[in-house]
Amino acid sequence: MLGLALVVFVGLSLASPFFLLSNNLLNLLDQSVVTGITAVGMTFVILTGGIDLSVGSVLGLTSVLMGMTMPHYGIPAGIAVAVVAGGAIGLFSGVLVARFGLASFVVTLGVMAIGRSLAYICSGATSISDIPPAINDLVYTPVLGVPSNVATLLVMYVLAGLYLSFTKGGRTIYAIGSNREAARAAGLNVLAYSVLPYVVSGALAAAAGVLLSAQVMSIDPLAGTALELDAIAAVVIGGASLYGGRGSIMGTLIGVMIMVMIRNGLNLLGVNPFWQGSAIGGIIIAAVLAERLVSTRMRG
Amino acid sequence: MPTAAVSGDATPPLLLASDIDKTFDRTRALVGAGVEIVAGEVHALLGANGAGKSTLSRVISGHVRRDRGTLTWRGAPLDPRSPRDALSAGIAMVMQETSLAPDLSVLENIFLPELALPGRLRFAALRERARKILDSLGQEATLPLDFEVGRLSVAQRQLVEIAKALAVDATLIIFDEPTASLSPGEVERLFDVMTRLRSASHALVFVSHRLEEVFAITDRVTVMREGRTVARSLPTASLSQSDIIRLMVGQELGRIYAERPADTVRGAPILEVRNLRAPPRVRDVSFTLHQGEILGLGGLVGAGRSETLEAVFGLRPHTGGEIRLNGKHFIAKRPAQAIRAGIGFVPEDRRGQSIVPDFSVRENLLLGHLSAHRGFGLNYASRNTRIAELLRLLDLPSERLLDANMLNFSGGMQQKIIIARWLLLDPRVLLLDEPTKGVDIGTRSSIYAMLREVADRGTAVLVVSSDFEELLGLCSRIMVVSDGATISEMPSAVLDEAKLTLFAAPRSSMAINARLLADLARETGGAAFWALLDGGRLFCLNRVGGEAAADPGFGAGATPLFEETRIPTALAAPPGAFVAEPDGARGTLLVQVQSHRGHGLGWIGLTVPGTTTPDAATIARRVHDVFAHSI
Repeated sequence: MLGLALVVFVGLSLASPFFLLSNNLLNLLDQSVVTGITAVGMTFVILTGGIDLSVGSVLGLTSVLMGMTMPHYGIPAGIAVAVVAGGAIGLFSGVLVARFGLASFVVTLGVMAIGRSLAYICSGATSISDIPPAINDLVYTPVLGVPSNVATLLVMYVLAGLYLSFTKGGRTIYAIGSNREAARAAGLNVLAYSVLPYVVSGALAAAAGVLLSAQVMSIDPLAGTALELDAIAAVVIGGASLYGGRGSIMGTLIGVMIMVMIRNGLNLLGVNPFWQGSAIGGIIIAAVLAERLVSTRMRG
Repeated sequence: MPTAAVSGDATPPLLLASDIDKTFDRTRALVGAGVEIVAGEVHALLGANGAGKSTLSRVISGHVRRDRGTLTWRGAPLDPRSPRDALSAGIAMVMQETSLAPDLSVLENIFLPELALPGRLRFAALRERARKILDSLGQEATLPLDFEVGRLSVAQRQLVEIAKALAVDATLIIFDEPTASLSPGEVERLFDVMTRLRSASHALVFVSHRLEEVFAITDRVTVMREGRTVARSLPTASLSQSDIIRLMVGQELGRIYAERPADTVRGAPILEVRNLRAPPRVRDVSFTLHQGEILGLGGLVGAGRSETLEAVFGLRPHTGGEIRLNGKHFIAKRPAQAIRAGIGFVPEDRRGQSIVPDFSVRENLLLGHLSAHRGFGLNYASRNTRIAELLRLLDLPSERLLDANMLNFSGGMQQKIIIARWLLLDPRVLLLDEPTKGVDIGTRSSIYAMLREVADRGTAVLVVSSDFEELLGLCSRIMVVSDGATISEMPSAVLDEAKLTLFAAPRSSMAINARLLADLARETGGAAFWALLDGGRLFCLNRVGGEAAADPGFGAGATPLFEETRIPTALAAPPGAFVAEPDGARGTLLVQVQSHRGHGLGWIGLTVPGTTTPDAATIARRVHDVFAHSI
């Protein structure tokens, strides 16, 4: 995966004189924030063998809720409402999946439809531009030389990576995805750690929404449409198995970067933007094929 | 006694398999294995767990492709790429877990392969053919053609499988451990069917590790060990039981099981289970497990053994009964509670319930620690010393700890690692479900040694096994369950495989026999019982009626010495008539019984109060009558 990322990076550097400009590189990271943060939660869910299709509409709905809260109660309250609401929606999906054994695909498909419809209803189907200008500071305050939204992204990846590798909860998530029955028979708390990833995914989708709203200084009930596909693509390109148990946060970060680099690079090269879908789709299929070939060799 | 319809040397073999190799992952399941089968014989394919007999059968029946070697079928080379290829050549396999469609009827299942053919099905014609097939097996009455298969008993399903094989004109039928979950009566019915098939010139392969059955039904024997054929096509009649064991094991059995354990080294009771009920399988199970002992839990597949362990460990809810741990009331709602209370559990299905395939060996080993550990982090380092100790016990070099894939290890090593997962937590109670399933014979003895060492250190060990020989060799006491209820708890020193088999028979298949006991008891006002007599000891399989005066002094499941009963004189005297005890309080008649195939089934006893006795000859006739037609 890292190899593929390097190939894309070097290739684009050679192909376009603009690619390596520090301006463009920061732009690259800036463009990856929303997908990147959502993909962290998606990694948690996919590691347990589930999938979360609702992240895009959760982002839309929680942004609208934040937009409704902020003018009256201030920015921190608005952010809190968004993140708590995102977590609560994740809790709802997670309980239906883990406690009642429903298929995650179907549950989150339903939540996706409900979320988008509520976003339209709450916003009155128009975008909200009446938000405090100070929120823009969330995005462009420099922290150690990088804008704060990029810093947030990197901190999230470091925390998630540490959590998944070095805590009881993280290892339990891997064990559940790899062999749920064995995790159960070994006494791990399968129920709690099957629900948690959906909560994380919902809350992080909301956090991504906060940063998106702060960046564009406007809230659209349509925001986040098709975000779930990008997030899933990033995780899959990053080497995770959709059957669970295999994948890593570092892989997901590389997956996100590959996607953003290709989009950015094709733009710089002046390729018709409609080709972007084909390029990314091809890489997704190649990534899944590679994963399958590697795992059949390993598992016989 | 079995007779080979055709002698092996005169006719060309129907099937010849030679130099077959098969490797799974890195496990060499078959190494130059071979077998030779002629028409009109029942051929035993023997071997310990993991010897490769199932793999070889699956190669022949097209379920598994061989890596190397030749198959010759009726003189021409055969290369089955799928079960369908083998079927169309005339080779069928009756599987351990049957491959039937449970929602379809018996008739539809018998002709399942034909459902795939183009054209309209003619059910009337199929029904006629099905009737003919069952007729040829002598089983036309046992199988209602319109029943859904899901509602049939295991034995009936097997019959459907056999009929299905005959429906495609299979000439070679492989039976893979067909008797694993059958009662003695059902086994006899299966043998009747096999005898008929043999006389119709079918060739049958009988895969088993139950030696008494091998002697009862087979003509020739091929023995496998560690993937190789070590004895080929020996006439069964020329072998003794110990010959076969030596071939299967490759060494004297005594070296595998250390001395037969005595029932003396028993500490304080630690786990007491009373009248445990966990529907649907567990109805009434009771036992006491002591510190430092290895207790065996025997019974047939499906008797509720695994479910009992799961209920104790919190993997399965129980609705009744009491569990006491260290004298205190104990209920585990989740496995985590059982683990914190000091219980470990090694489930039967290693791949499905134990191994986390994406974890390294080290993390697999630490999985129990992960669950017992309270806190946010991992604290793996705290276990390093103990892990080093355990690695020495396991015979595993420490550099293999970080091996990424546990599935690359042999079944035996996997099992040792899973057992070590629990030993790491120093459990007070260790529950093991079929611990040597799929484990090669060499590793078996080291697992036994490991369990003995664990018990010697004071851990209470409970072992579930279908292999009665293993139970007898490993455990100091054996508890038998049948149909979800405890039948008996006995010291293993007084037991043998034949007795265990009778104790383990499903009660449901003994209904006719129980009715006989009830009738006798009611008509005479006495106590009727069914028991085995051996070496001055009585093994009571069932007892009905008889209060106060007629009480023979033992109940179902008891194993008293003759002099410990209240009818010692009768037990010591020869049968044929009522024998009064010296005090004149009760008289007892004993009638020896056997099945219609001549298999000894012990004695039916009737104890009546006082000295006036019913006619002994009439009762004996009734008893013989019932046994000739039942069980």
